Amino acid sequence: MATIHNEIDDWLAADVHGDLSKDERSALHAHLVECATCRKANEENKVMNKILEETLAQEKPDPAFEQRMLAGFRGRIPQRSGLARLLVDLMRLRPVQITAVAAILLALVQVGRVITGERSTIPRSREYYANEKFFRQQPSQVAPGIGLAGGLDKSDELAAGRSRDLSLQAPPPSLPASRSDFHENAKMPATIVAPAKAAQPEAAEMLGRSASPENLARVEVAEQKPADASAPVLANRKLIRNATVQLEIVSFDDALQRITAFANEEHGYVATTSSEKQANGKLRGEVVVKVLPEKLDRFLQKLRGLGELKNQTLGTEDVTKGYFDTDARLKNARVMEQRLIDMLKTRTGKVADLLQVEKELGRVREEIEKMQGDLQYWDSQVQFATVTVSLAEKDMEEPAAFLLKERGQLSLYAPDVEKIYNEAKALASPKVQITNAQLNRDYSGRVSATMSVLIAPEESDAVISRVKGLGRVENFQMQTQRIAQGGNGMSENAKTKRDKVELNITISREEQEQALQQTSLRIRTSAVDEKAKELRTLAEKQGGRVRNSTFNRDPDGRELANVWLRVPMKNYFALMQSLNSLGKVENVSVQRQDRTGTQIDEASAPADISIQVYSQGNIISHESGLLATLRRTLTQSAGAIMWSLRMIGVAVAFLAPWAIAIVAVVWIVRRIAQKRRSKS
Amino acid sequence: MDSSEREQYRAAIHGDREAFEMIIRTHSRTLFAIAYSILQNREEAEDVVQDALVRAWKTRWRVRDPAKFPAWLATVARHRAHDIFRKRRAVPFPPETIETNETEITNTEAVDQQLHTALAALPELHRAALTLRYFEELDYRTIENTLGLSNGALRGILGRALAALRKQLRPALASLE
Repeated sequence: MATIHNEIDDWLAADVHGDLSKDERSALHAHLVECATCRKANEENKVMNKILEETLAQEKPDPAFEQRMLAGFRGRIPQRSGLARLLVDLMRLRPVQITAVAAILLALVQVGRVITGERSTIPRSREYYANEKFFRQQPSQVAPGIGLAGGLDKSDELAAGRSRDLSLQAPPPSLPASRSDFHENAKMPATIVAPAKAAQPEAAEMLGRSASPENLARVEVAEQKPADASAPVLANRKLIRNATVQLEIVSFDDALQRITAFANEEHGYVATTSSEKQANGKLRGEVVVKVLPEKLDRFLQKLRGLGELKNQTLGTEDVTKGYFDTDARLKNARVMEQRLIDMLKTRTGKVADLLQVEKELGRVREEIEKMQGDLQYWDSQVQFATVTVSLAEKDMEEPAAFLLKERGQLSLYAPDVEKIYNEAKALASPKVQITNAQLNRDYSGRVSATMSVLIAPEESDAVISRVKGLGRVENFQMQTQRIAQGGNGMSENAKTKRDKVELNITISREEQEQALQQTSLRIRTSAVDEKAKELRTLAEKQGGRVRNSTFNRDPDGRELANVWLRVPMKNYFALMQSLNSLGKVENVSVQRQDRTGTQIDEASAPADISIQVYSQGNIISHESGLLATLRRTLTQSAGAIMWSLRMIGVAVAFLAPWAIAIVAVVWIVRRIAQKRRSKS
Repeated sequence: MDSSEREQYRAAIHGDREAFEMIIRTHSRTLFAIAYSILQNREEAEDVVQDALVRAWKTRWRVRDPAKFPAWLATVARHRAHDIFRKRRAVPFPPETIETNETEITNTEAVDQQLHTALAALPELHRAALTLRYFEELDYRTIENTLGLSNGALRGILGRALAALRKQLRPALASLE
């Protein structure tokens, strides 16, 4: 086999070292039989192996070697003391490691809490509160049951007594029917009270099971408002219930009718109604309805169907204590009255004493009546719940009318401000009132005037157009504001009225007006001064004025005159034509400022022309000719060279540090390499 | 490597002194062989093993995989031996080694001498493999593990090492026969 032959060394070594598998060994031996070279190598190899074994066995460490190593190790790494070792051993256990990590984390959390100032006792205190709440709740659940069980018998009796009294005195129209209800309700809780420890919903269910249709309706209510479930239980307490409801409805009368119907359905009645008509024709009002307390909830439910509910409040006032106090005092007073009457009947004693008794009797009777009145009032209040319904028709806020306010701003230009000012003042009449007029003249002779005028709406258009005609209008602004009255928002029916027009007028001199068109041009001529004068006469011929002019002459003999003219637009073109006679017209530029939207009398609008009249000087400059050119060339090239030198300097400054750094690095690397080479 | 061995390495890495001492017992000869293969000197090799063990104990936490613990030990020992070797090279050879050549020697001693010279001429890895094999009579598997070699590579190394020695010592062998 060629592979074995080629790798004979490896095979032989593996053979003597016993690393060959059975198959490999037989393959090798087969090859050795065939190949003489390999056989020889094999022989040699075996000898070599033996020599190596013998020689290296001498070098082998002695049997005590391990012991020496151990002793040396122990000598150099001393054992830890008992406790430290125990700790280290403990730390080797996984659970201990986990616990330690957890402890460290916890400690960190605690430290964090201390640092942030958070209180670490929050969880415990929350638990505490929960417990406390729980304990508080329990008695409160039990107490009403017990309290009622004890208190009911008595109060029930009393209530029965009172109602009997009342029914004798003043039975209201719907009373008999509802009264029996009332009693039923009052007794029912008493039967329930024994198992009253059961939760409230259960109690409600029990009520429901004692199946009378009236009660079924109550259960409905109880379900809607679980908190009110105890209301029937407390029915014999003296509770005054009242409610206020705010509704937005479409029609007041309609709503009132329906409320009356509802009240009748629920055996109640409408006590008072009031309504009020707003400026915009909408109605707002209040209806007070009395209904039986136990039907209050259903009544309110019905009310909601009338319109949009804006607000609802339900209140209960407990007058039990005051009621029974008064009741007891009333009884006492009756006994007193009886005694006094008895005293009068026996008629013993002096007349003065009898008079005294009579007087006392009167006082007692008065008291009794007052107390009876109180009780009666309370009874009526308790008997019926008061529902105050506030009604407002939709779109209450709709405005009743609109007012159009107009405010104007008019700016005029006039050649003679004072004249126009006086003319405007002359317009004053009862329908055109001048509220403010002012004429200003400053130190430079400029005059301006301001006026404020109030104009009756029917006159306003005529007056404004007359004022406009007085001068040139620079600016006219009109601002209209629509103000809603008696409300806000939009309305389809409200009328719109025009208010007085307020007009502010400003009059200023024409001079200050900005030119409609500005032209600038140059005229080249030989005699500047003369032409400038000519120009002046030309301008005056066309109705223009020279506003400003300058003249100067420079050392080279050049002359320059600047003239600013203002002409009316209608004469502008004629003037421009005539300018051609003065000399060569150059560089004409025209700038027009169109004021869009404003109607301007274009013909008389001012146009400004600025004219530069100049002459070419006739002295040749010394900056020309061969020498000058040469000199210029030289200076420029010298400048160019200097510039490039500077640039090179900048480049060098830019690159030098890098070059130095690179050279230094290369040098250091070379040095290190050299040293290494010499070392090895 | 079975699980009990692995567990031992793990315990040693985690600082179990007894486990480490057990490893000293089982592995110090291997380490010695490696050190010897580099230094060719028993005293120095022993010192190297001692140093390497102490160093290994102090830096045991560097080993992540317990299975690689023996190979890592070998590496520590090898580095230590190299350090010693480099220091020794700095000072010149002691003169007596030259002298021994000059003295009268027997045949076997001559062979011994030649063998050592031949061994010194071998590449370090070859020498390490040879020493592991002949000192401890370790099987190929263990040597592979210790030196981090594959089976084929180890076979090649040992084959070449033996062949090289054989060729170098051929004349001496002939005289011995």
